[in-house]
Amino acid sequence: MSLRTPLAGVLGRGAAKSGVHHWWLQRLTAVALIPLGIWFVVSLLALPALDYPVVTAWMSQGWTAVLLLLFVLTASWHSYLGVRVVVEDYVHGAGAKSAALAAVSYVHVIVAVAGVFAVLKVALGGAP
Amino acid sequence: MTEFRLPAHSRIHTGVTHAAPEGAHDVRRVRIYRFDPDSGENPRIDTFELEASECGQMVLDALIRIKSTRDATLTFRRSCREGICGSCAMNINGVNRLACITSVHDLGAQIRIYPLPHLPVVKDLVPDLTTFYAQYASVKPWLTTQTPAPPDAERLQSKAEQEKIDRPAACILCACCSTACPSYWWNSDRYLGPAALLAAYRWIIDSRDEATGERLDALEDPFKLYRCHTIMNCTDVCPKDLNPAKAIAEIKKMLVQRQS
Repeated sequence: MSLRTPLAGVLGRGAAKSGVHHWWLQRLTAVALIPLGIWFVVSLLALPALDYPVVTAWMSQGWTAVLLLLFVLTASWHSYLGVRVVVEDYVHGAGAKSAALAAVSYVHVIVAVAGVFAVLKVALGGAP
Repeated sequence: MTEFRLPAHSRIHTGVTHAAPEGAHDVRRVRIYRFDPDSGENPRIDTFELEASECGQMVLDALIRIKSTRDATLTFRRSCREGICGSCAMNINGVNRLACITSVHDLGAQIRIYPLPHLPVVKDLVPDLTTFYAQYASVKPWLTTQTPAPPDAERLQSKAEQEKIDRPAACILCACCSTACPSYWWNSDRYLGPAALLAAYRWIIDSRDEATGERLDALEDPFKLYRCHTIMNCTDVCPKDLNPAKAIAEIKKMLVQRQS
């Protein structure tokens, strides 16, 4: 039980003066993912085959590699922003929330770096 | 973490059935959530069978009929009985609405009545709206200016300026919208909810107000404002046909626009 006034509870620690940037980036990345996503799916479907040599040859083309890098980075970023919101919505204990948000950040950075590395390795001729 | 089941003391049991009067042929079964904090018992669902002609026109008429002829302990709020006071907001057949302007004839033979969702229940159909009202108070719902009022006249608005606040100002604070919002269910301790945000918007766009910047500052927060995920239940249920979802979207737009 608390003897604080209801208004004190609602005002809490005040406004964090953030959220605009997050909201705007989520929209920005969402819009960018529409052409990138369509390009990615259509390009894969247009390949004569989906075996290793065909796909690696496709990935080694300059524009393909550039667009793939953009796709990986934009998708990871968008996903990070979205999953973060899901955690904030549903995870309530202060400790659990901090841990979950940290895990979400790490996982997304790992996925993004691994994706970028994979594309670059193939594009720059590192893959057999 | 999120709870998927109600706490043990909130789980609903089957209650009493008050059978239809002898010889009734067009029976309406009104199933009502009952909770009495003094009894120490779990909430229950009581069933009241009424002859259709007994029900009257609106759900509120049926509730008053039940209270006066079947069970005088049935507890609910009501006042104006014409959709302007917002007292009788409740969850009727799964939708938050005002009992006084919901026709019994639109609901079929089964009518299920619960208090507004996800609020502490004071008794039966009376929820605790303390936090809801505090959220409204927190947006400072009054005119704030630096310019003194003209000594011999009102603060004037053009017709176009008045029309902007005409609809948002028609909110009756019945709480149908906020309690229909999943984001409000999970985070009402930090998210202000559609009703308070609609009120904030009403003052942000008021042409006479001079605290627009401070009002936007106070909302720029991942929880107070940005827990809105555009689910739009608020607009869907509003008994006054207002559009809190659009008001919130406009606030977000203003916050982006003042950045660049």
